Amino acid sequence: MRFFDCNAFFGLPARRPLAPVATAEALLAEMDHAGVDRALVWHIAQHDVAAQTGNRLLTESIAAFDRLYGCWTVLPNHASELPAPAVLFEQMYKTRTVALRAFPDDHRFLLGEVSMGDLLSAMVLRRVPLFVSLIRGITWRGIYDVLEAFPELTCVVCDHGCWGEDRMFRPLLERYPHVYIDTAQYLLDGGIEALVSDYGANRLLFGSGFPESYFGGMMMALKHADIPLEAKQAVAYGNLERLIERAWGDIVKEVVV
Amino acid sequence: MIGRSPLAREFWKHGRVAACPIYDMHGHMGHFHSIYFPRADAASMVRTMDEAGVRLLVFSHHAALNSPDLANEPSIAAVKEFPDRLRAYCMINPNYPEQVARDLAAFSNLFPQVYVGFKFLSDYHQVALTDPRYAPAWEMANERALPVLAHTWGGSAYDGEAVVREVAERYPQVRFLLGHACHGAWHAAVALARDFPNIYLELTAVFDDRGVIEIFVEEVGSERILFGTDLPWFDPHHAIGVLMNADISDADRHNICHRNAEKLLAPILPDLIA
Ligand SMILES: [Zn+2]
Repeated sequence: MRFFDCNAFFGLPARRPLAPVATAEALLAEMDHAGVDRALVWHIAQHDVAAQTGNRLLTESIAAFDRLYGCWTVLPNHASELPAPAVLFEQMYKTRTVALRAFPDDHRFLLGEVSMGDLLSAMVLRRVPLFVSLIRGITWRGIYDVLEAFPELTCVVCDHGCWGEDRMFRPLLERYPHVYIDTAQYLLDGGIEALVSDYGANRLLFGSGFPESYFGGMMMALKHADIPLEAKQAVAYGNLERLIERAWGDIVKEVVV
Repeated sequence: MIGRSPLAREFWKHGRVAACPIYDMHGHMGHFHSIYFPRADAASMVRTMDEAGVRLLVFSHHAALNSPDLANEPSIAAVKEFPDRLRAYCMINPNYPEQVARDLAAFSNLFPQVYVGFKFLSDYHQVALTDPRYAPAWEMANERALPVLAHTWGGSAYDGEAVVREVAERYPQVRFLLGHACHGAWHAAVALARDFPNIYLELTAVFDDRGVIEIFVEEVGSERILFGTDLPWFDPHHAIGVLMNADISDADRHNICHRNAEKLLAPILPDLIA
């Protein structure tokens, strides 16, 4: 089975974790050990330092490795520090950057129409996925708010936690057709089976939460989940491939190994 | 493939390995607050155990944790339904000393057909492990060298590392299982395991913190680490995947999955473990 991880980062966090993975090369070595083919990744400096610094580090670090796809951090852009959406998307395309991340609470802005309406509208049109993480800079309230304003946004909710969040994300899956969740921390026994049975196999993406979590945990849970093989393949890599293709078309064809 | 070792290959391929059965030393059962559990009744949990090769689960029913009205009755009923696959911890809620007295009085009759030890949930009951209301249960466990699974969480005034150290000194005969291994205070957990030969580090909710297992194995040794999942909370396949992916040896994996639990439980359940 192939795995395309939608939720991994590298780089040294400001607060030292137990087992940091400093470089793209080190990340790839861990992916090889675990049997993860490709990953959509970001650099921790995008959160810990600044979007501008982290995005640059990310792009420089993954340029040589076409198994790695980038995910930049975005901010409200009223001082025009970042390019306008059309130029941003052009730069993304050129650098194999296929998704965006936002950390509104930690980066002190409100993710919504007033602050980021221009970019979010453009993302909806272009179908560029927005990744958010419940362990870094957003709450369920913030996710509910941005989706209420942008119901067509492609939004991947990561790291929703192991202590039972179904009653938080199931309403979103039912209301918004382009909301997805990842598997990181979805340790719930029988959770994958129940989710696939209730919503089909297309709303869940394999995400490891690496390097804070192991690749192997959710890989094993998915491999031995009591769902059809096609459903496992969709979760393991197919759904993420489809999201990237919808936004970027030939970028996937160019770089798929 | 999540790892290169022979055991990792076997688990990856089959999902379970007969030569490496699993003893899950930390489970629950039934509904809990608003949590959605697809598989929380005894029969569904045993089905999960079958899928992952879990030989035995030692658990305490969620109702036993939080309903003094029901107390340990739901745990007892489930063990009687699956006597080959389940054993219970007798849940102690020190907020109700009269119930504790009844639980302790009933304990001997139910040991070891139902109970193998005690479960303490200090953070939730907001009574420190050192509180005198726990003493009758500690004393019984100490006299009989029984397992006690205590929820332990780093920094907690009820069951954090300092409190654990105090009771560990007081009750050296207890087989003291630190549930969640003093979660977050990993180096304090290591120090406790080094200082007290009767302390075991139990891995529920530790599996999703990359790097902890390697530290425990390196600094304590795999002989005092126990497998646990909070089932029906966490899929045992997730825990197995982590163990196979982590940078430890197959011998360590055997210790954590079954050998340590077998040693711990063999004197209590000679028929079942043999
Ligand atoms: Zn528990």
